[in-house]
Amino acid sequence: NMALRELASLEKYLGLKKPNKYSTQGDKKVPVLQNNNAPPLVGLVTIACHLVKEAKRPELLGDGAEGRAVVQQWLEYRVTKLDSHTEDTKSILKDLNLYMQDKVYLAGNQLTLADVLMYYGIHSVILDLAVQEKEQYVNVARWFDHIQHHPGVRHHLPPVVVLRNRLYTSRHH
Amino acid sequence: MTKEEANGATEEEQQAQSKKALKKQQKEAEKAAKKAEKQAKLAAEQQSADEDDFAKDRYGVSAMVQSQQKPDRALVRVEDLTPQKVDQLIWLRARVHTSRAKGKQCFLVLRQQQFNVQALVAVGDRASKQMVKFAANITKESIVDVEAMVRKVEQKIESCSQQDVELHIERIFVISQAEPRLPLQLEDAVRPDGDGEEEGRATVNQDTRLDNRVIDLRLPKTTTSQAIFRLQSGVCQLFRDTLTKKGFVEIQTPKIISAASEGGANVFTVSYFKSSAYLAQSPQLYKQMCICADFDKVFCVGPVFRAEDSNTHRHLTEFVGLDIEMAFNYHYHEVIDSITDTMVQIFKGLRDNFQTEIQTVSKQFPSEPFKFLEPTLRLEYTEALAMLREAGVEMGDEDDLSTPNEKLLGRLVKEKYDTDFYVLDKYPLAVRPFYTMPDPNNPKYSNSYDMFMRGEEILSGAQRVHDPQLLTERALHHQIDLEKIKSYIDSFRYGAPPHGGGGIGLERVCMLYLGLHNVRQTSMFPRDPKRLTP
Repeated sequence: NMALRELASLEKYLGLKKPNKYSTQGDKKVPVLQNNNAPPLVGLVTIACHLVKEAKRPELLGDGAEGRAVVQQWLEYRVTKLDSHTEDTKSILKDLNLYMQDKVYLAGNQLTLADVLMYYGIHSVILDLAVQEKEQYVNVARWFDHIQHHPGVRHHLPPVVVLRNRLYTSRHH
Repeated sequence: MTKEEANGATEEEQQAQSKKALKKQQKEAEKAAKKAEKQAKLAAEQQSADEDDFAKDRYGVSAMVQSQQKPDRALVRVEDLTPQKVDQLIWLRARVHTSRAKGKQCFLVLRQQQFNVQALVAVGDRASKQMVKFAANITKESIVDVEAMVRKVEQKIESCSQQDVELHIERIFVISQAEPRLPLQLEDAVRPDGDGEEEGRATVNQDTRLDNRVIDLRLPKTTTSQAIFRLQSGVCQLFRDTLTKKGFVEIQTPKIISAASEGGANVFTVSYFKSSAYLAQSPQLYKQMCICADFDKVFCVGPVFRAEDSNTHRHLTEFVGLDIEMAFNYHYHEVIDSITDTMVQIFKGLRDNFQTEIQTVSKQFPSEPFKFLEPTLRLEYTEALAMLREAGVEMGDEDDLSTPNEKLLGRLVKEKYDTDFYVLDKYPLAVRPFYTMPDPNNPKYSNSYDMFMRGEEILSGAQRVHDPQLLTERALHHQIDLEKIKSYIDSFRYGAPPHGGGGIGLERVCMLYLGLHNVRQTSMFPRDPKRLTP
């Protein structure tokens, strides 16, 4: 189950010593975490946010009210747009490429949970892109390469090659 | 009704009928009279028109040229209409590119291949208004003979190749009339593909062009097609000249053969009297037999037939192969060097002598100029694998290169070495034909090579197995019926020199040199699984 592997990787990144035991529910195998006496936590994003708080790394959820809102927006985007396959991949890449034109991270000026979960979510798409397509979505590729090289983030996913030099410079190919 | 009444009625009817008939006759008579009057009037007008047409002997549709006569008349070429000829009365034959009446004048543009000139028929003491009308109505592409005075123009005529002069026509005759509806409009065919869509004007699609090649090849204004095929002619000539200078002999090889030379799958079968034969997929076997016959170095230029059901931008079922084969002393790199040097001479010859054609083509089909290194870049297969793996491609050591990987490799090589032409040496043995010499040090590899232009393969070659024993082993390994290649193997039994070679496709080389994207553009009458005409 990809979601469970993501959570395991996230735990490692956060440096949580004791890995949690997760169960799943429903056909979609949504992850569930028993939460002592409180009601169980359901869903990748909910659990991930909980883990971040548990690890006492609140900055990963965003800086300031606006920053936190942007992080939540991207976490929602991950689950509703990316995972659900409701939108065509090309338009997701196009939107993301435009958004990342002038940004290093998805929210604010440092790595947040938004970057990590979007990286996990979009990995299989980027893995299948041809060199030419990675050049076409150059900002997405740049952000992706940056995140996958961030210490401690990658874990369960194979590295994707992103070339530094442009091979397809002119429009004739 | 009583009989009397009936009779009476009939009589009335008859009377009525005869009245009707009379009226009808009268009407018809009137009509006939009117018609006769009209005809008489027309005839009279025509006569007066003829009488008024003082120029009627100076224009018209000529009788079909059936070699009736040998007039003592020199025809001037349009390209020679320069200020030097001003005030001379000349004859020329050209196509009507356009003709446009404007009041008492008719402006024509007369065209010969890529050259055109403005011409004028004006009502005056040489031309009547009927003559001007005639000129304006000549259909486009018709061939005309024209006698005209060459006149200087004050302002350069920008839209014609001959900008300093125009013709004042005194006589004009149609030698061959074109049908009024052309299957494609030349202005549309000449328009660069991208532009048309933007401005809502038509561009002509490839199939229409190919179906009407006779007109498509005329493409006047930019003469793209003419430029392409003139360049192609140059490639052949440079190939022949370079190899002849190197001491190669041109040979001709048979195209109807008894056994498929490259493997049974992609070969055309023809009926041969009571049995069957095949169309040659390459001159491979015959080139080699010539080497065994001590020709030392040979080349041949001829058709190659591949029954491959590939509908791609770079495959034809029939194309022109330029093939080389040579004996060498100790190392097959002597062969590679000879081939790459030949290619470089061709590239230089095109660059130095065909700039007009290259520029003409790039106006309609823009591309980067072709780059090459001296000496030619040669990479080993293992190096190429490393480059591809570094770019994220997963490939086994003995895998063949797929077309997308070939193209990616071409990009990586261009980025790293800045060349559009390179050699890839030491291919895995498993993916090469049975007659390829294995590498002496590593049985997984072979003494074979491919050459690439702009990332696409243009030549496949190798050192050939010249030992009959090894050749037999390799054939068995590839599960080839030895009976079918008995005479081929026999040619190596009586002393055979070590040798190697390769073959290129003329159309593909032209396409890639010019940076075009479809091999049909560089094949005059292309053949593919869906096209057998014209």
